[in-house]
Amino acid sequence: MPEEKISVPFEVYRYQPGKDTTARYQKYTLDLVPHTPILTALLQIRAEVDPSLGLRYSCRSAICGSCAMQINSKSRLACETQVGPEVARHGRIVVEPMRNQPVIRDLIVDQSRFWGEYNKIEPHLKLDPRRPMPEGKVTSMTPAQVDRFKEVPRCIACAACYSACPAAEADPGFPGPMALAKLYRFAVDPRDTAHEERLRRIQPDGLWLCLRCHLCTEACPKDVRPSERIRDLKEMAISVQGANELGSRHAVGFKENLKGAGQLNEMKLVRATDGLMGMVGQLGQGIRIYRKKPEIMKKPRKIEGMDELDKIYAALDKPQKEEP
Amino acid sequence: MRIAYYPGCLAQSSSKELDMATRWVCHSLGIELVEFPNFSCCGSGFIDEANEVLNIAINARNLAIAEKAGLDVLTICSTCQGMLNLAKVRMQDPKVKSRVDAALKPIGIEYKGTVQVKHLLKVLTEDIGLPAVKAKVRRPLHGMKVGAFYGCHLLRPADEMQSESAEEPHSFEDLLAAIGATPVDYRGRVMCCGFPIQFVKPSTAYAIAGKQILDAKAHGADAMATPCPLCHLSLDAYQNKASKAVQTPHLDMPIFHLPQVVALAFGASPEELGLSRHLVRTDGALAKVNASAPA
Repeated sequence: MPEEKISVPFEVYRYQPGKDTTARYQKYTLDLVPHTPILTALLQIRAEVDPSLGLRYSCRSAICGSCAMQINSKSRLACETQVGPEVARHGRIVVEPMRNQPVIRDLIVDQSRFWGEYNKIEPHLKLDPRRPMPEGKVTSMTPAQVDRFKEVPRCIACAACYSACPAAEADPGFPGPMALAKLYRFAVDPRDTAHEERLRRIQPDGLWLCLRCHLCTEACPKDVRPSERIRDLKEMAISVQGANELGSRHAVGFKENLKGAGQLNEMKLVRATDGLMGMVGQLGQGIRIYRKKPEIMKKPRKIEGMDELDKIYAALDKPQKEEP
Repeated sequence: MRIAYYPGCLAQSSSKELDMATRWVCHSLGIELVEFPNFSCCGSGFIDEANEVLNIAINARNLAIAEKAGLDVLTICSTCQGMLNLAKVRMQDPKVKSRVDAALKPIGIEYKGTVQVKHLLKVLTEDIGLPAVKAKVRRPLHGMKVGAFYGCHLLRPADEMQSESAEEPHSFEDLLAAIGATPVDYRGRVMCCGFPIQFVKPSTAYAIAGKQILDAKAHGADAMATPCPLCHLSLDAYQNKASKAVQTPHLDMPIFHLPQVVALAFGASPEELGLSRHLVRTDGALAKVNASAPA
């Protein structure tokens, strides 16, 4: 039995910088079977209705990563997203270009910032020049070593993660989820010798601008789980470089904060991260908040069973380098 | 129902009003909150960054405490919910479990993995159910347009949180509708509040918070409501900073904790819910209710 066709209203973002003063949403309605991929629908629009629609695509099989776009506000590959569920939920399909990258035309964005961040981490194996790989040989890894980064090679560089990332949106200093996931992949490769150099290539605190909001992990069509790789990279950065940035100082400071009472001491944490001078800078806001919420100055109650927590720390918390 | 109450650090200190409202709502719905003075902080996502296994062990200890008492855990913070649940998920990995168990066993703690961790939003919408919530409403919030703001860790990663759709959730909006408010649909409702990087780069954190508030405002919200005290800090206590960051002089967006809006609809007074502890005044939003539907 062939599937019955449904009426699918599209609203497609149209904009040509230099020619159009503002973006507009062009409406098209097609009759399609529910499992039609949105890319197929867009190509039908371009072939039969409006040849001027600009979009990027290639393989149509979720392999090349070219057709990432915003579909009803979600970062998705158009080739693997079907019209049926979107219409069922939203009654229409709003198609927009990826976010966080300037529009070149319609659904096509300028990816130079995305690729620039990728190139900056030098995403290739850097072997020790003093120990070149023997001719005709391969350097092998154990399955356990490969396991540490096995998700990352699945990445197809579609930039859906970058489009979904609120840190990339708000701060040009954030390298983006893919670049950091790739950095992690090389940083844990036992054959690579540029771990520290790569970490230094990110601008100070660049790694720590990750909000761990996991929006990238939701957007990723290949389950690379960039936010989790970034978490792994943060722990690694602390063990390699020590807590030498605001972000790492805060993470280590929080860990240390629980010693003593087992609950957060807000004032102690501010002091650990920002130092006394930093605290002075925040005095005005601190007083504003204190007037409504005087408990921010209060020491927390010590939990019962604090000795248990102490023993957990003793067993699992290796000493980490801490820099002033 | 009886449940182990995990208030988290903030509700016991600077977000005391969240604890007040939670108790009010649970009392009126007959939810018995069992308290455990040996619960520790969940690590707030920061300890996870510094030492993943330690973070799992700290929370496995918290979970084991409730498990031993035969109770599930109630959280009132998206981040606590995320961290406790993360420990549950990670403990399914035998390698992780054996490392953590090696630290817990010598101190007589056993984590079996039978305990469930539920945020108040889930308890209200699934365990208690919307019809029962609706039955308690004495002063429906008719006329108040509220933007739900979920908080990242309540939703994501969706496969680990076993949450509803992480990108298109609706339970919070369903709850708002049940208490008579009008939920506002806006993109920012599933976005980040910026809090985790407030110490790293305040200007960026404030800009992210401001963006979500502006988005809610642009979609007609009279107020926002959040199930997370960290989001509340970011959106309320630092709203003046967010305002500057998005160059909008007066955002004036009242921010409620989730149980506060529920309790208001159940008939609680602003004093009982600590509304005067907010940095952004809430009376403008409350006036919307009074204007269109006198109690």
